[in-house]
Amino acid sequence: MNERQVHKFVQRYLETTDSRVVEKSPAHYIVKLSPQADRDLTNRPFYWSFVDRTGADPETMTMLLVTDKKKYEERQNNEQHDGNQPGGATQVNGTSAGTPIGAAADAAIGRSLGFVHGSLNTNQRIPREDLHFGSRKLEQLFQSAKSGGSYVCLFQEPDRKNAHPLQSTAYTAWLGINLKVEFACDMKREEFHSIGVSLATGQCVEEFHESLLGLRMTPRLPPNVHTAKNALTLNKAASLAESLIERKLKSYDYGWAQGAAARLEEELATIRHYYEPLIAAAEDEEIRTSIQTQFERRQDEIRWQYEPRVSVSAINCGIFYLAGIG
Amino acid sequence: MTQSANDLRGDQPSSILTRKLNAHVNVQFDRTWFTELQQRVDRNGPWDDWTMYQLAVEAEQSKLIASFDDLQCMRTLPALEPMPHQISTARKVLHEMSGRAILADEVGLGKTIEAGLILKEYLVRGLVNRVLILVPASLVLQWVRELNQKFGIPAIAQKKEHSWQNDVVVASIDTAKRDPHRDILLGMDYDLLIIDEAHKLKNKKTTNYQFVNQLRKKYCLLLTATPVQNNMDELYNLITLLKPGQLGGQSEFSANFVVDKRVPKNEDRLQEALSSVMVRNRRGDGGIQFTKRIVKNIPLPLSAEEQALYDAVTGFVRDRYNESGGDWSSMLALVTLQREVCSSRDAVFLTLVNLFKKTAEDSPIRAKIWELVEFIRNIQANSKAEKAMELIREMNDKVIIFTEYRATQEYLLNYFRQHNLVAVPYRGGMNRGKKDWMMDLFRGRAQVLIATEAGGEGINLQFCHHIINFDLPWNPMRVEQRIGRVHRLGQKNDVKIYNLCTLGTIEEHIVELLHEKINLFELVIGGLDHILERFEKEDQTLEQRLSKAMLEAGNTQDLRSRIQDLGDSLSRLKEEVESEEIEDTPIGAILDAVGQTVEVRP
Repeated sequence: MNERQVHKFVQRYLETTDSRVVEKSPAHYIVKLSPQADRDLTNRPFYWSFVDRTGADPETMTMLLVTDKKKYEERQNNEQHDGNQPGGATQVNGTSAGTPIGAAADAAIGRSLGFVHGSLNTNQRIPREDLHFGSRKLEQLFQSAKSGGSYVCLFQEPDRKNAHPLQSTAYTAWLGINLKVEFACDMKREEFHSIGVSLATGQCVEEFHESLLGLRMTPRLPPNVHTAKNALTLNKAASLAESLIERKLKSYDYGWAQGAAARLEEELATIRHYYEPLIAAAEDEEIRTSIQTQFERRQDEIRWQYEPRVSVSAINCGIFYLAGIG
Repeated sequence: MTQSANDLRGDQPSSILTRKLNAHVNVQFDRTWFTELQQRVDRNGPWDDWTMYQLAVEAEQSKLIASFDDLQCMRTLPALEPMPHQISTARKVLHEMSGRAILADEVGLGKTIEAGLILKEYLVRGLVNRVLILVPASLVLQWVRELNQKFGIPAIAQKKEHSWQNDVVVASIDTAKRDPHRDILLGMDYDLLIIDEAHKLKNKKTTNYQFVNQLRKKYCLLLTATPVQNNMDELYNLITLLKPGQLGGQSEFSANFVVDKRVPKNEDRLQEALSSVMVRNRRGDGGIQFTKRIVKNIPLPLSAEEQALYDAVTGFVRDRYNESGGDWSSMLALVTLQREVCSSRDAVFLTLVNLFKKTAEDSPIRAKIWELVEFIRNIQANSKAEKAMELIREMNDKVIIFTEYRATQEYLLNYFRQHNLVAVPYRGGMNRGKKDWMMDLFRGRAQVLIATEAGGEGINLQFCHHIINFDLPWNPMRVEQRIGRVHRLGQKNDVKIYNLCTLGTIEEHIVELLHEKINLFELVIGGLDHILERFEKEDQTLEQRLSKAMLEAGNTQDLRSRIQDLGDSLSRLKEEVESEEIEDTPIGAILDAVGQTVEVRP
């Protein structure tokens, strides 16, 4: 994700969580979070459990979310320079603030902190978060999206132009699953697969999620729509999806797994060569047991490190009612 | 993630389905999602939001690891600019060494950065969740801060027993190996174990070695600048800790590779074996290493009043020492007094007040303390502060003043304020937020930072290249830490160090000792600990020896010759260390052939 994509992502997140954007630019948002977003993003479990137990009105946090640090700071600097302290940031040897108010503020801060020169912006108390790809706060947004977007049940919105008041459109229920496939040994790579299975016919399609993005979806059953009878159980559909993935995976090249298995064997041979003479030479039983334990632990570690494995897990899934008999 | 959630539930083992894919690998289907979906269908909800659903997919797609062998972590670290050798080291450890390696770069080339890159890469790829980082106690906070700030890794310093439950924990090895922590750690499975200053594990008989050996770990990084210090066995032990059997059994190793404990044989084979588990980058000879350190001692005569106070305090301290019958260990407070006189009258005053409070009411010493306070009263100006101010005005640039004493710090803040010089304080007791604030002020409008603390806090002050040592610690490592804050990678200018040194006082001797004898201020980085390690092996620390010399010396002449002796033995050790530089030995040559030479840009 580049800065623009992050910016767009954040915007959609804020909209869908009903957070109120107070100020924005292409590089930042100042936002008053909705209770839902606040729970997920501000790390205040104690506060929220207090609200939940007492029923108090929650006071959500306001945050400055910077989506493009460089651009945002450039703008800030420009504003400062255009403002009333020309060259203020670079001037080093300046005397105490020129205005009487500035001097008074300095003195007040000085009293509590020893001496501090006041180039501080004290009215800014909104916590700032930099949301670049990989930052912790963005990761929290990702997590929040995942936990708030795991299971859906949606209907395709009918095309209004064709709508005839007395005509009913047939809809088919589809199981849609977005899967992450992980290929791992001591290294790892991943793939994304989206599979749809028609519950009416058992037809399987790939890139299901992409095809949904072209449609308008609604959580409510639209008028003048009827749903076709399901011929498959959900369980059967899930098995079909898994078989599809399995067939696909079988066709892949597993040179990497072969390589990992070879490394695994080589490492096991190396430690056998090291430990077996030690065990044979051990004089008393206690020492032998301790070396044997070490040997076994080391074998476990090596398997843990190298053993090739493929795992398939769901990112999210849902039931989708789409127009037509599929 | 889903995997661990499943483990926690435990009651649904059937949600993982395993099928054989081919001769080498099985596929596992995690079916937790199905159970949950079925339940929601049965209950007709609750259902999640469509936009969130799409966002979740986008988030996962953006994090997808597309290939086995690129460095994914770099796109998550926009602010980090690792040097080329750090990146190539990380790649090598990840792709060729499968995550078990000794990082043996020379001091100052950024082993921490390399380890951070490797750790981050494994975290991003989801190959590592649980991490244990064992470092010397003094480096714990620095590691935590670097991982958090540079790598965005939520590392936590181990403080209490329950700290171990966090995913990324930094702790001192001496704590970790003790009860009750030991059993907790031995019960865990660590995806990655990192050990800094791993040369402390060179002896396999030590409890540290055995403890680390027993920890269960998948990947493991050992960091040390000196994988071999004295003999070949140290190297063998270190590698055996990482990968037992890599160099064969002990007797095989001796037969194959060792002529004498310091002389290897079959160099080519040994080098090959080493290069599969160790990376060692060395500083190039041609490249600019660090900028220069330019040291200037500023000798200052004391004013008549200051000299009077100094002499009075010296007399007072000697009298007390003689009264105590040579028991110097209880005299450390008095030594402090003597050192404070060289800094500021404020510092002396504070200590005297405390001493006064501690002294019995009828003691004759109370009167003597009051006499000293009278001397303080007579002092109208601080020669050192005046000189410091003059220097600062001349350089007209950012400058850090280090002092050992809080009272001196306060005094200087006040003094500078009266003269319209913008200065901010920095001290150990400040909390993190305040420290950062002071740093920001110093980076911004303040010209001067007055610090009482230099160690361990990972403050980076490369933008400043003037240091004034208002007074000097007697522990050379602390002096080195002070300079190290400024003189490090990233410093673009020569660093100018000014030592204020009052003539005719103990300070004059100290400056001479540190500067002339061990050439402390210009010493190659990393050389100092070796000298001090040897020095302290013989007896006590330099600090203790200096105190003793000062208390026992009958007069200035005597003191001078005692300090002269200390200086001589230090310069002897320095020569010894230099002559034993590992680079010139056959083992050193092999180590050097592992890895590459790096031209470090200043």
